Amino acid sequence: MMAERNILDSLGSGLLVLDARDRVSFVNRTLAEMLHISAEECVGRSAGEFAVLMSRFALPAALPRFDWPEAFGSRDIEWRDGETLRFFREDSAPLSAANAAQGGAGNGRVFAYHDVSHEKAVDRMKSEFISVASHELRTPMTSIKGSVDLILSGFAGETSPEMQELLEIAQKSCDRLVRLVNDILDLSKIEAGQLKLNLERLDVTEIAVRAICAVKPLADKTGVRLRVDRPLPLPIVEADPDRIEQAITNLVSNAVKFSPPNAEVVVELSSDNLWVQCAVCDQGVGIAEKDLHRIFGKFQQLSEGRRRGGTGLGLAITRGLIDEHRGSIWVESRVGEGSRFIFRLPIAAPPSPNTPALAGQAAKP
Amino acid sequence: MKLTRVLVVEDDVDIQKVIRMSLKLRGVSDVVLVETGADCFERLGSFTPDVILLDVMMPHMDGYETCRRLKQDAATREIPVVFLTARVQKADRERGMKLGALGYLTKPFDPMTLHDQILALLKEHSAKNKEKDGAADA
Repeated sequence: MMAERNILDSLGSGLLVLDARDRVSFVNRTLAEMLHISAEECVGRSAGEFAVLMSRFALPAALPRFDWPEAFGSRDIEWRDGETLRFFREDSAPLSAANAAQGGAGNGRVFAYHDVSHEKAVDRMKSEFISVASHELRTPMTSIKGSVDLILSGFAGETSPEMQELLEIAQKSCDRLVRLVNDILDLSKIEAGQLKLNLERLDVTEIAVRAICAVKPLADKTGVRLRVDRPLPLPIVEADPDRIEQAITNLVSNAVKFSPPNAEVVVELSSDNLWVQCAVCDQGVGIAEKDLHRIFGKFQQLSEGRRRGGTGLGLAITRGLIDEHRGSIWVESRVGEGSRFIFRLPIAAPPSPNTPALAGQAAKP
Repeated sequence: MKLTRVLVVEDDVDIQKVIRMSLKLRGVSDVVLVETGADCFERLGSFTPDVILLDVMMPHMDGYETCRRLKQDAATREIPVVFLTARVQKADRERGMKLGALGYLTKPFDPMTLHDQILALLKEHSAKNKEKDGAADA
């Protein structure tokens, strides 16, 4: 037992064990030192008392509640000790099944506190670099795109058909470069957990209609018809309208790109007790089963997507956006039969009396 | 409403040229180009534009600070400011708009529609002002 204690005290991460009655049964030396008290002083305290101790340093301080006892949890916390600010990742898990067998149900939880300050700093530097690089790239792109657009407009005189064709290639490539820079910036924010969502209570139908309007000029080029199919009114979700529009626009424009001329792309909206579901369905080439697992990865576009000016990041961003909303996304597809990209968002809890009504409702007297 | 006099505050000379040509294409006769916020204030002593097109990332005084000072000074407060910048993030846009800008356009821009975008912002601003004046009169 002594040897085990020494091992746990030697760990660089803090450890805390709560027993079945939510009382502290163990704290290792690392966590005790973080709290500036001895491990013995911690043992026997209730989870609530321990949270008060933590609150001197940690934000958020309270230990997370688990209504589902088997759940594993992970969250980031800030740790302020005087002038020093550090970041910890708190991982928590139910005590193991072996212990559960000895002690019956509800055996408590173990919490581990890992110092991730260095990772945070690296993440921040990476994010800043991408942000600065994106700004710096835009300046030459503005000159190139502006010059090419102006020449193509005839402003600088007539161009021969060959010149026209070459300039159109330059214009198309420049537009693609702009999309790529935008997508890299978006994805880096999502991956760094820096995406700020402006959550509103909203009906996904309105967002789907807006997304379809945005993609219509692209669809018109090949005669692809766009339609929203919503048999019943949808429950309200809590989401960032711009980001959900971005997700649906990505899916619909992908569907259009992979559809044969004059085909139809349908956005099917439905719901059950827990979720609002949005499925973007096309009659395109479909995706081979071997490619399905990598379709949401970065730069994993199929050759057709690259040919059509895709950046290879659209689906990775879409998945990131849906994940940020605590939703889920997947694809169903068969070669030659088209694809269905489906995402779900959790239905919002009923509004509290202080929650403002939706804009449409607020206008009514 | 017609757009005739534009002051462009932009430190990249190539982008200055593209802006000038795209406005000239749509008949804007008087486009004055300056490279810094300080030059902007100096030029405003003798030139009153319909709109100031303002970059953000410039040496010494950035576009946000330039806009803040323009809106603080009674002599320049009423001149509409439209940002034209490579800073595309939501927080950047919000910061610019909070400083009293009329609009926030991002780079790369479409030189064929730049004039129309600025004009649309000016018209919207003018309509709002008329509405406000009407309400005040009533």
